[in-house]
Amino acid sequence: MNKTHIEGAVWKFGDDVNTDVIHPPQFFSLDDEVVKSGLFNGLDSTLQPRLRPGDIFVAGRNFGVGSSRETSIRSLILNRVGAIVAISFARIFFRNAVNNGLRCFELIAADDFGRIDAGAPAVVDLDACALRQAGKTPVRLHPPNAFVNRIWEAGGLLETLA
Amino acid sequence: MPKTYCHKVIDRHLSGRADDGPYCDVAIDALLGHDATIGLLIDAFRTRDLKIWDSGKVLFANDHFSSPASIDRAEISNRFIDFARQEGVEHLMIDRGICHQVLVEHALCQPGSLILGADSHTIMAGGLGACATGMGSTDICYALATGRTWLRRPESIKVVFKGRLPTRCSGRDIALMLMSVFGEDGASYRCLEFHDETDNGLCQDDRFSVANMAVETGAKFGVFVPDAITRDYCRARDGADPAPFLRPDADAPYVQAVDVDLSRLSPLVAAPWSPANVAPLTDHHAIPVTRAFIGSCAGGRLRDLEDAANELRGEKIHANVRFTVIPASMAVYREALKSGIVESLLDSGAVFNAPSCGPCGGIDKGVLGRSDVCVSTSNRNFRGRMGHWESRTYLASARTVARAARLGVLDGAPAQVAGKETVNL
Repeated sequence: MNKTHIEGAVWKFGDDVNTDVIHPPQFFSLDDEVVKSGLFNGLDSTLQPRLRPGDIFVAGRNFGVGSSRETSIRSLILNRVGAIVAISFARIFFRNAVNNGLRCFELIAADDFGRIDAGAPAVVDLDACALRQAGKTPVRLHPPNAFVNRIWEAGGLLETLA
Repeated sequence: MPKTYCHKVIDRHLSGRADDGPYCDVAIDALLGHDATIGLLIDAFRTRDLKIWDSGKVLFANDHFSSPASIDRAEISNRFIDFARQEGVEHLMIDRGICHQVLVEHALCQPGSLILGADSHTIMAGGLGACATGMGSTDICYALATGRTWLRRPESIKVVFKGRLPTRCSGRDIALMLMSVFGEDGASYRCLEFHDETDNGLCQDDRFSVANMAVETGAKFGVFVPDAITRDYCRARDGADPAPFLRPDADAPYVQAVDVDLSRLSPLVAAPWSPANVAPLTDHHAIPVTRAFIGSCAGGRLRDLEDAANELRGEKIHANVRFTVIPASMAVYREALKSGIVESLLDSGAVFNAPSCGPCGGIDKGVLGRSDVCVSTSNRNFRGRMGHWESRTYLASARTVARAARLGVLDGAPAQVAGKETVNL
């Protein structure tokens, strides 16, 4: 990922995708290889092996509802998921993502969810705060506020510790 | 300016650093951690050469891997305990029970306090009027080193409980009813501010059950405005009165106000695979059950064990059902032993296990296989959580779980079953 663009294929998910589906409890571990392999394992065990660095997840409402376990974030980062775009995020998940520099963006218009094509390449333009796919008008994303941006610029919450 | 309860609590804890728009920096009164999530931050803590800001305000419990069921978990467990000892954590509770239950049994958990925990069900301390919330390891690492965190001031939803809780219902049914009202994101980022205006008052165990599941609506806090029941609990626990209580202003602004007449409540069940998939027990017919679980921070207190024992009255459970009971803490376990509840449940065929999380998060002590159908007092029935992807979990009260264990089916229709009259719902 360079500083202004995130590029990858789009993977689409529905509403209320919870943390036990994102990363099943049996993959909880301090071993990065185990954590990496567990991403969406119960839902589709072929998903994680097919991921490419920079891929973009697009989801409906309340993405990440459930547990505070940060292993779901670690797995997303280890798999080099470029960004997550959703209609809305569950609060603990959003905090965990922000704190670890995983870019999460909310759609300005919920209806735009239907316009984004799964499987097709996309670019998240960080300057314009938009998701672009070939042949479509850009989808607008809520810009992160100054507070969240400061954490991202620092590289994570712990990096802001003096 | 009139304020809600949680705004008063937050304003008392402002750290004096500059506000960042909607975010404020707050000092916390206590920090809760457990063996699984603290393990994830040890390296970060050590490589940055951090120190605990105030070890007297930290409570750690090894509830996920108590006792460890694999070599991997034994390593995580040992690492956690070593870290706690080396860093001087003052309240290290080893094999004493689930962290949330152990916290509310401890004087660190005070009404009006601001508490962070490395687990989403930290919110349960709200049952005692604490503004408590769960966060991930990175947030907890930061708070452990600084005694502070960043928070968005949440708006509040006022929930007023009125009437009288029917004897066949408990706090658990109230929690499930709230799930049917709010769904999985209806209180997202908000504070659920509970007012107990019921005729008889909800007992403290029921308040903890309600506060525990508030997180499943997306809420940041789920807090009971403290009252005489809160005071009695603190007095009995601490041998001293709590500090004077905060109260929300009469004209405080709420984004939503919900009045709930508990007199109309009936036993409820959340079907697979969402805690918000709630319907009355009477809507369920002849669903064969293979596992019954009473335990977890949501439903492993004395009130729950007692309800199960009263429902079963020593009668044997159905031959197809395996019944696991895990008291939420050693204190609960001892009370249940003294009062004969343990013996009664053993007579029915229950298997007891060490106070810990157990099967709730698919950890141990009764994980589910492909064909298992479980009725449980735990707080989440997300697909794959308690075991196999194809297993199914129904969330219900202890009384409903015990009833299903006896019948061998989850069934709410009053009918003759094997020549015995069923208990009237």
